[in-house]
Amino acid sequence: MNSTIELLAPRYDIAWYPWAVQYFFMIAVSYASLWLAAPALIFGKKAWLPTARLALIACVSTTLVAPVALLADLHQPLRFWHFYAYANTHSWMSIGSVVLPLYLVSVLGLAWLAWRPALQAQRNAPGLSGWVAKWLSLGDSATPRALVAIVGVAALLLSSGIMLYTGAELAIVKARPLWNTVWLPPMLVATGFIAAAGLVLVLNQVSGLCSHATVRQMLYVLLAFCAVAGLIAASWFLDGINANIGSVAAALESVRHSPSWRSTALWGGITGITLFIAVAWLLSRFTQRQPALFAWAWLLGLVAIHMGWMFRWVVLMDVQHVARNSAGFHHYGIPAGSSGLLGIVGTFGLWLAAILLIELFIPWRQAQQGGVKPPPSFDTNTPSDSLNAEQGAPNHG
Amino acid sequence: MDAIRRSLLGQLARLSAGAALIPFSSLAQAGINQQPARREGDPTKRYGMLIDLRQCIGCQACTVSCHIENAAPLGQFRTTVSQYEVQHQESGELATFMLPRLCNHCENPPCVPVCPVEATYQQQDGIVVVDSDRCVGCAYCVNACPYDARFINERTQTADKCTFCAHRLEAGLLPACVESCVGGARIIGDMRNPDSQISRMIQEHRDALMVLQPEKNTLPQVFYLGMDERFTTRPVAEPVALEVFDPHGQEMGYEFHH
Repeated sequence: MNSTIELLAPRYDIAWYPWAVQYFFMIAVSYASLWLAAPALIFGKKAWLPTARLALIACVSTTLVAPVALLADLHQPLRFWHFYAYANTHSWMSIGSVVLPLYLVSVLGLAWLAWRPALQAQRNAPGLSGWVAKWLSLGDSATPRALVAIVGVAALLLSSGIMLYTGAELAIVKARPLWNTVWLPPMLVATGFIAAAGLVLVLNQVSGLCSHATVRQMLYVLLAFCAVAGLIAASWFLDGINANIGSVAAALESVRHSPSWRSTALWGGITGITLFIAVAWLLSRFTQRQPALFAWAWLLGLVAIHMGWMFRWVVLMDVQHVARNSAGFHHYGIPAGSSGLLGIVGTFGLWLAAILLIELFIPWRQAQQGGVKPPPSFDTNTPSDSLNAEQGAPNHG
Repeated sequence: MDAIRRSLLGQLARLSAGAALIPFSSLAQAGINQQPARREGDPTKRYGMLIDLRQCIGCQACTVSCHIENAAPLGQFRTTVSQYEVQHQESGELATFMLPRLCNHCENPPCVPVCPVEATYQQQDGIVVVDSDRCVGCAYCVNACPYDARFINERTQTADKCTFCAHRLEAGLLPACVESCVGGARIIGDMRNPDSQISRMIQEHRDALMVLQPEKNTLPQVFYLGMDERFTTRPVAEPVALEVFDPHGQEMGYEFHH
């Protein structure tokens, strides 16, 4: 047995910047909140209406910001049109470049359909908001319920494409053993749902909507996806201790040799378990002292958002620090500029701007989600009831 | 962990819900992440390199000449020589191990299929190149290469890598690293030509040749002679190179400290 010292190796920079974390986080919140909006918005479940209102603004705002972060992570952002001029069907990223704009259009179309009746009702409001409502609602024709359902189902299908490609893009990279596992894509989806449910809880509080139904539904979603995430993590671990080469072996090695990975693993585990227990406890208290306790559920929402974001930070940033050829770990301090802190803060700032613009100009609080209740003068020929019955399959909740 | 317990855990893992995902992943690997067709280059040739580690003295002449020839930005390298100090734990005897690294121009290059715009491609002579006019700088290839052979060039903001000095080969010259190697450790040539020096050496030393990270199934075409198997994967070593900054925070160089 020999001992070895590495005398000389170049310092390898990270290739993907925090922009990538922001994209993966935003797009995950986007697709997950679309599914949280779906029960009321697409399948006509009335009990989910307050949740759908909140989830839809979460979905639209993150869908708008995510592609900006993605574009910023390119070192040549102005060459984005090369994705379409020289598409490579062999690449998951190329497939994503086709799915993402379609998804964006479907979400914006769906949101427009969902908000249109409320916008039409606001056409005569004074000032700028009336003018915007007039302009955005594009005429006073009815919004057919069937159209909402069709666009909604298309958006859900495309969102599954996003889940698949974002996960596969990482999971096929053999060069990074920690990514190269089938368990990563489902874990990204599970933590995405945790973050989205958390965001809906926070928005529920901040917007003043404070719907108890939403709190209860989101706590159930959190409970379910925490359990799913735990199951995935356990399966990954059990699966991996069998194989000598694999992501689990790489993870164990990282945890063994690096104090920062040790604390990351500990932090992640403790946060996940604490969140699960706290949510379960809160739900068990539901019948007794709900109003007082439920007012604090948004704090758990913050923890959930933290979990979804941190998971992506660890997966995308920390994994890039694990050296592939040289000994040890590459040091990376988050730079202050646009490839670091400014990028992170800027993305969240842009998201805040998007949500504030929606708050200013869109009467989302009144939205009946998809023409369930069209404006009074046009309520004669909407085939909403029969469709509601057909589309009301209990796929969610 | 003993075998019985290990297989029991394996059974448990297979029973767990997500095992159904595994066929999907192989589908994704096979269907989508396949190699696109090779283009350009001479189809009658297949370039490869053989590095005779017995001749390498770790002088970094290759690193420097490559840096000058290909105008890489400071601190970024298309080729470099990793150096290790190995100590025999019983006798305390010291030895230095030198490992020149460069792009392996793999037969199954993981960096090529991931490129969303086919800016990086494999020529018919096996050389993997980047079209820097097409590259969008997504850095997916940088992450996909297990050998750290790629980087985003600070100046061009596109992917950069060793090309076996394709521009020199075309002109009938040797790559800069080969030309400058004082020990003649680097041998490049056409492996389809049975009379080339590389073909003869591969024939002669077939059993002794090793490649880096063979388990990744990339089929590297840079072969090492006189290699210690323990260095084919990420070495179990202690890193000691520390960066040194001057009072203004500018990097002055490296200090070897132990």
